[in-house]
Amino acid sequence: MKPTVVLFIAAFLTASSVLAQEKRIYRPEDTTRAKELNEVVVTATRTERKLANVAVPVRVIDQRTIQQAGSLRLRDILQEQAGLYMTNGFGTGVQMQGLNPDYTLIMVDGEPLVGRTAGVLDLNRVAVGNIRKIEIVKGPSSSLYGSEAMAGVINIITDNSFKKRLNTGFRYGFGNPDEGWALPGSRKSFDNIDFSLQGSTTIHKLGIQFFSDANYLDGVSFRPFSTERVPQPIWRLTNQLQLNYRISQRTKAGFSIRHAYDHIKQEFAVSNNGAVTNSYGREANKDLNSNGVLVHQFSDKIKTTLRLYATAYNGSQVLKFKEIPDSVYDDEFRQHFYRAEDQTDISWEKATLTLGAGYAIDQVNSTRYDDVNSRKQNTIGFGFTQYEWSPAEKLTVIAGIRYDDNKLFAAAVSPKLALRYTVSKKLSLRASAGRGFKAPDFRQLYLNFTNNAAGGYSVFGSIDAVKIIDELNRLGQIAEIKEDYSKLKQLAPEYSTGLNAGGTYTPVEQLSINVNLFRNDIENLIDAREVAVRSNGTQIFSYINVKNAYTEGAELELQWQWNKYFRVNGGYQFLYTADKADLKRIRSKSVFTRDENGYSRLLERREYSGLPNRSRHMLNLKLCYDDQSSFATFRAIYRGKWVVSDADGNGVYNSHDEFASGFVLFNLSAGRQFKNGIRLQAGMDNVLNYRDINNLPNLPGRMFWLGAQFKLIP
Amino acid sequence: MKNTIISVLALAVVFTACNKDKTITTPADPNAFKVSVSGKIVSVKNLPADTIVGLVGGQPVGVGKYAFFNLRTNTWVANTDSASANWDLAFSGSTIRINAGTSGPGTGGAFVWVGSFDNLASVPADSVFKTDNYPAYAITKGSGKGWYSYDGATNLLNPIPGRVLVIRTGDGKYAKVEILNYYRGGVTPSASATDEVKTSEQRYYTFRYTFQSNGTTTF
Repeated sequence: MKPTVVLFIAAFLTASSVLAQEKRIYRPEDTTRAKELNEVVVTATRTERKLANVAVPVRVIDQRTIQQAGSLRLRDILQEQAGLYMTNGFGTGVQMQGLNPDYTLIMVDGEPLVGRTAGVLDLNRVAVGNIRKIEIVKGPSSSLYGSEAMAGVINIITDNSFKKRLNTGFRYGFGNPDEGWALPGSRKSFDNIDFSLQGSTTIHKLGIQFFSDANYLDGVSFRPFSTERVPQPIWRLTNQLQLNYRISQRTKAGFSIRHAYDHIKQEFAVSNNGAVTNSYGREANKDLNSNGVLVHQFSDKIKTTLRLYATAYNGSQVLKFKEIPDSVYDDEFRQHFYRAEDQTDISWEKATLTLGAGYAIDQVNSTRYDDVNSRKQNTIGFGFTQYEWSPAEKLTVIAGIRYDDNKLFAAAVSPKLALRYTVSKKLSLRASAGRGFKAPDFRQLYLNFTNNAAGGYSVFGSIDAVKIIDELNRLGQIAEIKEDYSKLKQLAPEYSTGLNAGGTYTPVEQLSINVNLFRNDIENLIDAREVAVRSNGTQIFSYINVKNAYTEGAELELQWQWNKYFRVNGGYQFLYTADKADLKRIRSKSVFTRDENGYSRLLERREYSGLPNRSRHMLNLKLCYDDQSSFATFRAIYRGKWVVSDADGNGVYNSHDEFASGFVLFNLSAGRQFKNGIRLQAGMDNVLNYRDINNLPNLPGRMFWLGAQFKLIP
Repeated sequence: MKNTIISVLALAVVFTACNKDKTITTPADPNAFKVSVSGKIVSVKNLPADTIVGLVGGQPVGVGKYAFFNLRTNTWVANTDSASANWDLAFSGSTIRINAGTSGPGTGGAFVWVGSFDNLASVPADSVFKTDNYPAYAITKGSGKGWYSYDGATNLLNPIPGRVLVIRTGDGKYAKVEILNYYRGGVTPSASATDEVKTSEQRYYTFRYTFQSNGTTTF
């Protein structure tokens, strides 16, 4: 370890112990745990409920946790949560309960973010500087939220306080992974700069709040024969304005507009066997969300919420190659999503009935489909209901169902049932079963792609595939129709049936243990399959509902308030996954692998590794000192090995395949709040400078950062 | 001249004799072409099958020649002998030809059997041998279709375990062949190896086979 690192850790530990000597009276009700149980969450039931009374697994990340970790983007804070796995490729996605990023709904203030690439919504798109809390609901939640809420829901709740204040924050980070390559123009170090401004006030009945954030990040060139930096220099701007108007004692109106803009400069040289190619271009992503909410309390018992939402996402990329004239890679993707919905909650003494209905329009224009000017549109009409009932003081039952009618593909019905039982003051149990779905995306419906660079194969979306192939066949350009061609039909949504069961045990006030067992059975997964072969031998692929898989495992969470100042949080996830077709093939003894001599032998069931890119073990640990004015944290993230490629060629991931090594990340931070409103913070991310160029290209090396926040209006 | 050679040989003998108790063995080059026989099983290592010589339009290419192999004599056959029945398998890149049909004048044939090499005791009675009919081959080309699987994400090609090539030789006898590896030294490069490595190391066949010389279908 380098001297700077050692010094930093020493300073950190000294500061922590000095600060700890300041004695105060310890009261158990001060514990974060006690506060947390009183915390009100909204995502689990779409109604405000105390976290302690919720029947499904929910995790809340509060503002203080986000600030103390020094997180800037959503990825930074989610990676420190138990059981959430950050995926690489098309940005950083989140894998929840072993399901791909496609199957987790990500919302800001209850409204979904759109603009996914290959199913991934890049978590770096979201700045976390004005977030009050993040609620994570695990298990299918389509009964309330519709498509995408298959593995769970992440709801980012922005700060909604309208007291008079004006804050500004600045953070500078510097990383130097000590490596560089000979190619001129390579970068060995990286910078990360962040500036934010946040203010709010209330004028008469009108609450106003704004948030602005500018972030710059560049990466290092860590591949040989390339000056490309990972990431390429990127500017990210976020602006948000929120208005809140109290029309009357019973009626409230809110309006929010959020604009996020990313700009990536592409300029790099790649050397291939001595021949250098210079690429240059840019990528720009714009995200605009606006929503209006009207809440009216008819009486103590009846409340209705009308929500209107419009969002536009525009991603474009242009890349040119200097040495190859007329070579332009031009990609454009524009998505518009509009939704109107109303939710009415009727409460009795022991029960709450929720009724909701709405209509949504989803539109996409993209160069990835036949024509960027041709707009693809789906319309969705939906209705949902939920009944929450407490027949006895200790028992809560929630039953809900939602129906989504789609113009482009089959309708979806999503039921859910959840139970919560308080055994004693120390023990409570919960169980839930639900169905989640994900609508086929526009890519699966409309893609029209021929890869001329790699042999000329084509992929057609399911809507036009039959038409295109039949036309080619008529022209005599089809050599062979494959068996899967007959399965081409209107795509159905992908479904999952999720079971979650567990409980919370609090043997003493300071200690809380949370256990959750889960199983998700996923049906109808959409996969690209070869459906025909052209006369020139090139393959044609399209999308079919074919795959069935499951994920199952256990989550364990532990929170321990050692004394007034020190706290320990730990999380662990154990995960098993399988493609059911793989299991069938293994059982029928038709899958082989190789022994130490390279000779074939039957693959055994116990050697099967399941779906790729999943770790069996994941662990998070956080030690925290906090005396309200000073704090220090030490966070560790462990992710076990995961399979990355089918090295033995048998088409099934198993223990003889190539795995990425497991790794540990250590992050440190410390800070102090001064009386004059200044807050200073310093930290070090990835202390051990762990890097894996091939499997974790999004993971930067060790970074030191310093931050300051000022209250401009005291 | 002759004397010099003799004296060198003599020296060599003396040298060898002197070192008898601590035998000098030059380490066998793991990348060299080699045929070894162990009982009924013949092992072939590093048979170069039109290895990469350069890039054309960004795609790696060889010179376009096949490596011909005779399973009866366990020998690599010269290209000049290609128009005869003196070979049984011809390798070029991932293409394997048999000596029949559009590929050669022999009476060859082949099909791919699913199972382990040891478990194939004889050619099954209901077997259908195919011959090459360009552009189709008895040993089907394409990832997952014949003997190999190609991973487009890693650009690596691996023989599918549990695939036995049942071969009718150029003279109508039978052999069973298991392809073990497609890279030099019999080791597939790591997924994270550079494209340069993946390109230069490929197209070297390591395989094993059993040939039944008496003309019966039993191995």
